[in-house]
Amino acid sequence: MSTAINAIERVPFFGGMFRMESNELNPVNVWPSLISMTAFIWFAIAAVIGLSMPAIQFMDLGANWYYQNITLHGAAMTFPFAFQLMVGMSLHRAGACLGKRADDIFVKLFYICMNLGALLLTLAVLGGFHVTYTVMFPLPVVGANMGQWSMGTLILGFTGIALVLTSMIVLYPVKILKMSFFEKTDENLQVAVRTLKDPGMVGMIMGVLVLLVTGTPLMIVAGSLLMHLYGIFPAEWVGWAANPVVFEFVFYIFAHNLMEAMAIMIIGAVYATLPLCTADGSRKLYSDKIALLALWILLITSITSFFHHFFTMYPALPSTLAYHGNIMSYATGVGAALTIFTILATIWKHGIIASPALFLILGGFVMYILDGASAIVISNVAWNFQLHGTLWAGGHAMVVLIAISALWMGMLYYHYPLMTNRTIDDNLARSSIKYLFISYIGLFYTFMAAGAAGVPRRNGDWDGDWMIYGVFIAVFGIMMIYAFVLYFLSLYRSKPIDY
Amino acid sequence: MIEFLYTNAWGAFIFLLMLQIPFLFIFFHIVNKKAFVDSKPSTTEPERYSRYRYAWMGVVVLAFVVVNAASIGYMPTIVEAKAESDSNITDVSVTARSWHYQFSDTEFKVGETVRFKAKSMDTVHSFALYHPDGKLLFTMMLVPGAGIDSAVVHTFTEPGEYTVRCLEFCGIAHHTMKNSFTVL
Repeated sequence: MSTAINAIERVPFFGGMFRMESNELNPVNVWPSLISMTAFIWFAIAAVIGLSMPAIQFMDLGANWYYQNITLHGAAMTFPFAFQLMVGMSLHRAGACLGKRADDIFVKLFYICMNLGALLLTLAVLGGFHVTYTVMFPLPVVGANMGQWSMGTLILGFTGIALVLTSMIVLYPVKILKMSFFEKTDENLQVAVRTLKDPGMVGMIMGVLVLLVTGTPLMIVAGSLLMHLYGIFPAEWVGWAANPVVFEFVFYIFAHNLMEAMAIMIIGAVYATLPLCTADGSRKLYSDKIALLALWILLITSITSFFHHFFTMYPALPSTLAYHGNIMSYATGVGAALTIFTILATIWKHGIIASPALFLILGGFVMYILDGASAIVISNVAWNFQLHGTLWAGGHAMVVLIAISALWMGMLYYHYPLMTNRTIDDNLARSSIKYLFISYIGLFYTFMAAGAAGVPRRNGDWDGDWMIYGVFIAVFGIMMIYAFVLYFLSLYRSKPIDY
Repeated sequence: MIEFLYTNAWGAFIFLLMLQIPFLFIFFHIVNKKAFVDSKPSTTEPERYSRYRYAWMGVVVLAFVVVNAASIGYMPTIVEAKAESDSNITDVSVTARSWHYQFSDTEFKVGETVRFKAKSMDTVHSFALYHPDGKLLFTMMLVPGAGIDSAVVHTFTEPGEYTVRCLEFCGIAHHTMKNSFTVL
């Protein structure tokens, strides 16, 4: 029995969600299952921390504790939960569609780097390194110089971030590219044959290329700074990398495109899965060509739309680049509109089978589109000056991750029988989807309304008038945690497939 | 109406709802119909899909063009250019440091047009100006080493105590980074 199966079996409750036996499909099932299970463990930790944030505000327990928890919550939700879940599911999909192993050294190194890095960052944050998940460079250095946290926690935190970035920017993309173009096909593993012309596979390849290309400059800058912190590079070698403008730009070129890459990948996955759930069994999208066009528009327009993160630096950000960012951001909406049409036309043309997996996928897609609308609204230069830095922006970042995660959780429902030889508990799954969607809608509009009311994001002292938004965030947050508990139970109470 | 849409963040919220409500209605109608009411393949003729597609994309592109074209007059470059041609502008320098602001001037009058030029001396901060009723008027991001100060032109139309806050997380006392001044 493999190490990964042993590891899954030893984890209480979460291991029970992924019970599996040794069989010939282990090379595409076991490590993706371990990675997905670990993502859910991080979610559980991050959710409790997230819920503590309104509680800290209600009970006035201190801003520094709030900043600690917002850093832990944001970092855990984004990297070891949402991203890691995507990796687990996409490795399984790529493996089973292309007939390639998903258990080689790249997969194992990804798992170690992601989780060890997240653990080191967590320890640094608990040691006082409160910089939020966006790092806010040069705050880490300024904070250490001012005595807000120690140089030791800064080095520990940066080491953790470097490991996480290595897993996301190098190990995972290289593994998917190897599977797509170089490794030998094992027909015994190829459960659902797909070619690289399939929109689902194209979306996956586009996504990892975006991560690799837009992440490499950040790896170079962050790596140079880390070498200096370790005492290997002298200060004069890394002066250019320590320039806040340099760091902020390479950071947002990556961070913005990370979200876009995750979105492109999940849309590709929807294109791959929706036809399998059509009522007429046609296994076809309305149009592969339109689906591919939508993906290409999303890819091309999203890369340079990152300028919207800097509109409010005017005139330090030239107006030309601001308008370019504005136009490209709205152009991503054109790609999204084509995607909406493709999905609805497919449903209309072929009908759908009302399974929990498909409903969670479609629910996640609705969440993604609702969030996308909030993103393009704030990407208008005029509105950005009234919304940037408020809970509108913070809420957008949060709900896009919920939407993407919901889509991958739907994919997990779909692939679960293949991964584990078990079927989910349908009733629990339907309840989970219902509560997840209601809580999402509640959280989404609370954050948007709070942003419109001018409530700042990442602020440890909510003024009296702003507390009402905190009440709604707490209520819908509790409901969302309940939805996730039901989701976990729907896997935990799965039953073996009776052939 | 257009003035409200682009000078008030609730205008953005209304536009958001205008985008989302039709989408939600159409999406749930189609999913409900094809999942529960009649999941059989549709008999719609292929040409009609093309017609709907062009109509849908036309509406989306038109909406995006109109909403952005109408916002041009409210973009900071245009606001600044208009103010420069219409009135005298008072330049005010603002220096941000963890966790306070220094102003070159803090006394303003109703009707006065002020260009706030702000910079940060240590980490990333922002300069967000709140109306006395709590509405966020505008925000600027201040990145140290940017070379050029961030700048926004604003005309005070009402008296009262205005608050300046930092909206970019800047350390353990970030929430205390605020200031206020009175417009007479």
